Amino acid sequence: MNVIATDNHQRINPTQLAVRVAMTGLMLLSTLSVACAQSVILPAPRLLTLTPMGGTAGTELEVVIKGDSLDGAEQLIFSNPGIQAKPKVDDKGNPVANHYLVTISDDCPVGVYDARVMAALGISSARVFSVSDQDEVTQAKPPTTVDNAMPVQVGQIINGVLTARAINHYKFTGKAGQRIVVDCAAKGIDSKTQPVIGIADASGGDLQVQRTGGVIDYTLPADGDYLIKVHDLTYKGGQEHFFRLAINRLAADAVVQRLPRIRSVQSFSWPPVGLVHAATANEQEPNGPKQTPQTIALPCDIAGSFYPAADVDVFQFEAKQDETWWIEVASERLGHPTDPSLVVQRIGDDGTLTDVVELSDIASPVKRSSNGYSYDGPPYNAGSADILGSFTIPADGHYQIRMTDSFGGTRNDPSNRYRMVVRKAQPDFSIVGWALHMGLRNGDRNALSKPIALRGGALIPIEVVAVRRDGFDGPIDLKLDSLPEGVTATGLTIGKGKTRGILLIAADENAPRGLEFTQLWGSAEINGAITRRQGHMASMKWPVPNAASEIPDPRLLDQFPISVGGVEQAGLSIVPEVEGELQATVGDKVTLPLKLIRRGEFSGSSMSLKTFGSGFEKAAAMDFSLTDPKTDVVIDLAKLKTPAGKYTIAFYGGAVQKYAAGGSKPNAKTKDIVDIFVSQPLTINVQDKEAADKLANKTPSN
Amino acid sequence: MYHLRFLLLLSLFFASELVAEQPQRTSFINDVVPILTKAGCNAGVCHAKAGGGQNGFELSLLGFEPELDYRHLVYESRGRRLFPLDPKQSLLLTKATAQAPHGGGVRLKPDSPEYQTILQWIQSGSPYKIEDDRQLASITVEPASGILQRGASVQLKTIAHYTDGSTRDVTRDSLFESNNIAMAEVTDQGTVTAAEIPGNVSIMVRYLGQVSVYNGAIPLGIKNIEFPANKNFVDELVFQNLERLGIPATKVCDDGTFLRRVSLDITGRLPTARETQAFLDDQAPNKRDTVVDRLLASAAYADFFANKWAAVLKNRRDDTKDIKANFAFHAWLRDNLLAGTPYDQMVRQLLAATGTIVANPPVAWYKRVKEPKQQIEDLGQLFLGVRLQCAQCHHHPFERWSQDDYYSLAAFFSQVGRKPTDTAGEDLIFHKRGVAQATNMKTGKPIAPRALGDDVGEIPADEDPRLRLADWMASPKNPFFAKALVNRYWKHFFSRGLVEPEDDIRDTNPASNPELLAALERHFLDSDYDLRELIRVIVKSNAYQLDAIPLPDNKIDRQNYSRYYPKRLQAEVLLDAIDQVAGSSTSFTNLPLGTRAVALPDNSYNKSSPFLKVFGRPEAASVCECERVQSGSLAQSLHLMNANDIKSKLRDSKGRIQQWITDKAELETIIDQLYLAAYARLPLAEERRIASEYLRTKADATVGQQTPSASELRSNLQDLAWALINTKEFLFNH
Repeated sequence: MNVIATDNHQRINPTQLAVRVAMTGLMLLSTLSVACAQSVILPAPRLLTLTPMGGTAGTELEVVIKGDSLDGAEQLIFSNPGIQAKPKVDDKGNPVANHYLVTISDDCPVGVYDARVMAALGISSARVFSVSDQDEVTQAKPPTTVDNAMPVQVGQIINGVLTARAINHYKFTGKAGQRIVVDCAAKGIDSKTQPVIGIADASGGDLQVQRTGGVIDYTLPADGDYLIKVHDLTYKGGQEHFFRLAINRLAADAVVQRLPRIRSVQSFSWPPVGLVHAATANEQEPNGPKQTPQTIALPCDIAGSFYPAADVDVFQFEAKQDETWWIEVASERLGHPTDPSLVVQRIGDDGTLTDVVELSDIASPVKRSSNGYSYDGPPYNAGSADILGSFTIPADGHYQIRMTDSFGGTRNDPSNRYRMVVRKAQPDFSIVGWALHMGLRNGDRNALSKPIALRGGALIPIEVVAVRRDGFDGPIDLKLDSLPEGVTATGLTIGKGKTRGILLIAADENAPRGLEFTQLWGSAEINGAITRRQGHMASMKWPVPNAASEIPDPRLLDQFPISVGGVEQAGLSIVPEVEGELQATVGDKVTLPLKLIRRGEFSGSSMSLKTFGSGFEKAAAMDFSLTDPKTDVVIDLAKLKTPAGKYTIAFYGGAVQKYAAGGSKPNAKTKDIVDIFVSQPLTINVQDKEAADKLANKTPSN
Repeated sequence: MYHLRFLLLLSLFFASELVAEQPQRTSFINDVVPILTKAGCNAGVCHAKAGGGQNGFELSLLGFEPELDYRHLVYESRGRRLFPLDPKQSLLLTKATAQAPHGGGVRLKPDSPEYQTILQWIQSGSPYKIEDDRQLASITVEPASGILQRGASVQLKTIAHYTDGSTRDVTRDSLFESNNIAMAEVTDQGTVTAAEIPGNVSIMVRYLGQVSVYNGAIPLGIKNIEFPANKNFVDELVFQNLERLGIPATKVCDDGTFLRRVSLDITGRLPTARETQAFLDDQAPNKRDTVVDRLLASAAYADFFANKWAAVLKNRRDDTKDIKANFAFHAWLRDNLLAGTPYDQMVRQLLAATGTIVANPPVAWYKRVKEPKQQIEDLGQLFLGVRLQCAQCHHHPFERWSQDDYYSLAAFFSQVGRKPTDTAGEDLIFHKRGVAQATNMKTGKPIAPRALGDDVGEIPADEDPRLRLADWMASPKNPFFAKALVNRYWKHFFSRGLVEPEDDIRDTNPASNPELLAALERHFLDSDYDLRELIRVIVKSNAYQLDAIPLPDNKIDRQNYSRYYPKRLQAEVLLDAIDQVAGSSTSFTNLPLGTRAVALPDNSYNKSSPFLKVFGRPEAASVCECERVQSGSLAQSLHLMNANDIKSKLRDSKGRIQQWITDKAELETIIDQLYLAAYARLPLAEERRIASEYLRTKADATVGQQTPSASELRSNLQDLAWALINTKEFLFNH
């Protein structure tokens, strides 16, 4: 039999190749069907799966990609320069669609990285690619019975995919007394699977099962063959249900290292800038209320653990009247399923305790979506179950911090660690942004995972939210530091005391094809100096067509790429016809002409516009004609009670475009797709009457 | 017999007249209320009916709140209920005697002492309290226990004990109730008469909110019985009880019967033909113990018992979105049973669950059982064997539980915090800091946590009170927790709890073998709540291994475990058993092919499986195991005989029968294999002859010398298998 070499790991025969080709065909059909089913948001490149999902540092491997709207894919790009890919070519030197040869450098650190594809429509959404320092194998086909269990070696990482209503089996040989640790990364590498892993005897009889995201830590009772079983909690399967399974042998006293995982959105606000990597002190158990409370001095930076079950850690300290201390606890943001809760108490001379403050969650900076049938906002929780708050000492004396995990009453897991920092106020902020979408059709959450792949003349809004630290409430300006040619970004300031702002990224009508990996920055004046903080970006992992059956699952992204595809233009653009800043006086009714640049066909004759911009969100919706070249809209500053100041605003609304791939060609087959359209921003300079009069008096009359 | 009873009653009446201290004046609480109770006036269906009583006249249930009753009687209805100027015209009396129209009919006769007592009370000014009014402390029944020969009677006497040390015979105003009327009946006046069924019976006696119980042993009376050897304390106490009652035990069952029985009871599945053959061939003297250990170590044990627990813990799918929660919770039960997590730890993790369902699956219990009242009622019935529902509105009629007891238990759940999650209807559970307390809905007073009368100490605001409750439950001194579990598990194996119903353990419903219940409880505690060890000690006993075929002298026994009581296979077990015999499998949505019915995570599969529905698989709506229907029905018989799903299993192209045809297996081998698979035994000679003849039958119904064709043999084999699965020997665990 002829054998075709593909890479260092796999050799396939022609039959297998035929199967692969057929599978690829099926996959393309599947991609098309998904694309056809889209009715919210214009097509956007989405990288959905990579096979395998990772590799060993210092190796080269073949990676197969799948996704939506990836036609014209040119590059497979990774967020670590140590991972490079080039298209695979066949014997005749022609690229093999969706196949890449990926080289991972020796010095590429173990971790998870974002992979993206630069396709015809622009940069794709991200998918995790893992790098390890272990031998890796890729499952050829799901080994769904005991009899066809895939033989593996202890010490290997298996890149696998689940089949619906089936259990994968992997067989290894072990010796009595060996400590085997089995870890499975799935949600943490973007998979849709909620993995269940089990270790079983050679006949498949379960010995130990883990369903809640932990590892199996099992000492083999006898020499022989064992099976590792993997399935989804509800036995779902398919290409989106991939996982990485590590089977390792550890010394009895070795600490378990988990497979690397992506970070949750909540974790964007940790750590505070300038915090040292490791805490300066550790909790000293037993330090419970009935034991010996731990004595500390403020400020402090302590690492601890919510262990054992119902653990209570008490830290006692001396403090002076009117001192204000800020306290921040990270545990959920470290990736643990915990809910820290603390109370600061004054200890009376007779030992009686009086509450000073009780602190629990960090509130989400913006109202969180309910994930209900009707869309009521982005389903990102930028708050956290962790703690960030302050307390003021009422009188000189003896105090204590009593720390617990509200989820820890019955859980015995020493890996549920926390870090507690008590400090004098260090005003600061953290920001995170995500591509915004509004007015989604009921249940449809596809648009929430869109990449920033711009069409000519299009504008994508980014919602940026801030967690403010230690009393900082000043305005935060938002900026991007590098953009593709023909792309501009307008930061709409997060107003004083506010936690939400909008960043508008716009492509010129004829912006050329381009890609830049940019950075989001927030800057603010703190204690008389300008402080700049780099923001994170977040996105949903998957396009979710029905939130009732699949809950949108967000994560932080490694990078913030912005691209212009250069092959399509936006169906319409809305351009304010204002030269420079729009001048207005407090209490005015401002009439603003908006120009329509229409490049495609739309359903209906008008769309409803709302307004972005601090203080302008409450402006009444305005009708914007989709047939007239110009529509005057009116902003009632009196109604909005807009005080004097400079404001950057933009208008947005949804419209149904009769979309044809590649642009409007005569007789092209079209599909009705709802998308958001945002006007180019403009600045309104609102002055009080006196200043306006003064300005008017200075202006020479014609 | 009639004369004897009459004399007994007569003597009792005079005796009580002589002995009892005749009250100088009539007490409302001590004299009037008991009469109202005995006459049924303040029963739940009469004037104590919820929502205002009957026709505007409301009394507290069984007179638990006499002050309230007094107000209703004396002050309501414009005072017409009592008519001091002409007491006999009081509505209370004219209605009770039906002199005025009364929906409840005649409750008192004008010439009865009860009528006179009430009349005297009205004549004396109908006081609520009288001078030196005595306060009832307790009641006792005399005799408290005894041996009651079949057909014999005994007169019970109720003695009221007052706080001042005085006593009074209150038999006439007491209520009597037998816990098993098939064994003994009791009259209104306390005469107990034993029927023909031997065993232990109890009579509950109630008077003014106090309860007492008479325990009677009804012996069969056979002497010098030889019992199987005692293998452990279970045998010792079962056989000791049988000896005391003079009931013989059947012999120990044969190996095949034991293997089938214990496999079904521990794992919910039949032994395979190969397992049976190996077991029958095994000559090791301890092979029964070995197989018990093997079954308990298997994942099938965890599957089967997870199925049992998932139903009573209400792992119910009401919406497609419930699937993740239901799968996670069921799997959590199964994994913990497999891992051998001690029972007290499992219950602790459940009751004090926090977090999300995916991260901590027992949180799912809080999805189904949302309110503190429901939580304590479920935990009471399920984990303590105490039914508390009544005490929410009034003092428990058969128990000592008051409303304060009820709400002080609910207080443990008062600090359960909830936050919505992305899944509609699914909350994240956390401990809400604060001092735990509940409000007695009747009195409006706040009540601190107390565990059924036990003080658990002050619970500070920082502490999750549910952990303190779990501590109390798992305490070796807890009188309910371990007892309820061992009784529940005993019933699993013996079909009848030592206390029946298994979740209604109370002083007034004593165990049929209290010494055995206590010993099992002790053993369970000593093993640190090891469920496997409890099962081990039960099924390794000879008492469990007795034959199911009754002896002439123990056929009548229904409660003393003188033989194994056969039970119909549960719906899921039966479906799996049929699949196992047919070599087929049933496909269940969202689950891997080959998943057994006993491993189904929730009730949703009942909708798609008529078989499971017809055979009574529970919908997980109730905390009571009685939700599972174990009775037979015509629909079940018809289903087994005619339903397409059964036929298709026998015709399965990948099934056992087709495999035999393909393999051209010997007919004798096939017959042996079928019998081993279905009955865990080889066919008897006559059975083999009949089967063999039938399998050789041609399509034209002739029995020729020629071997039937493959299709004829296939059809004949399907018929034979069909016949086997329609026998009682197959349908029952015996």
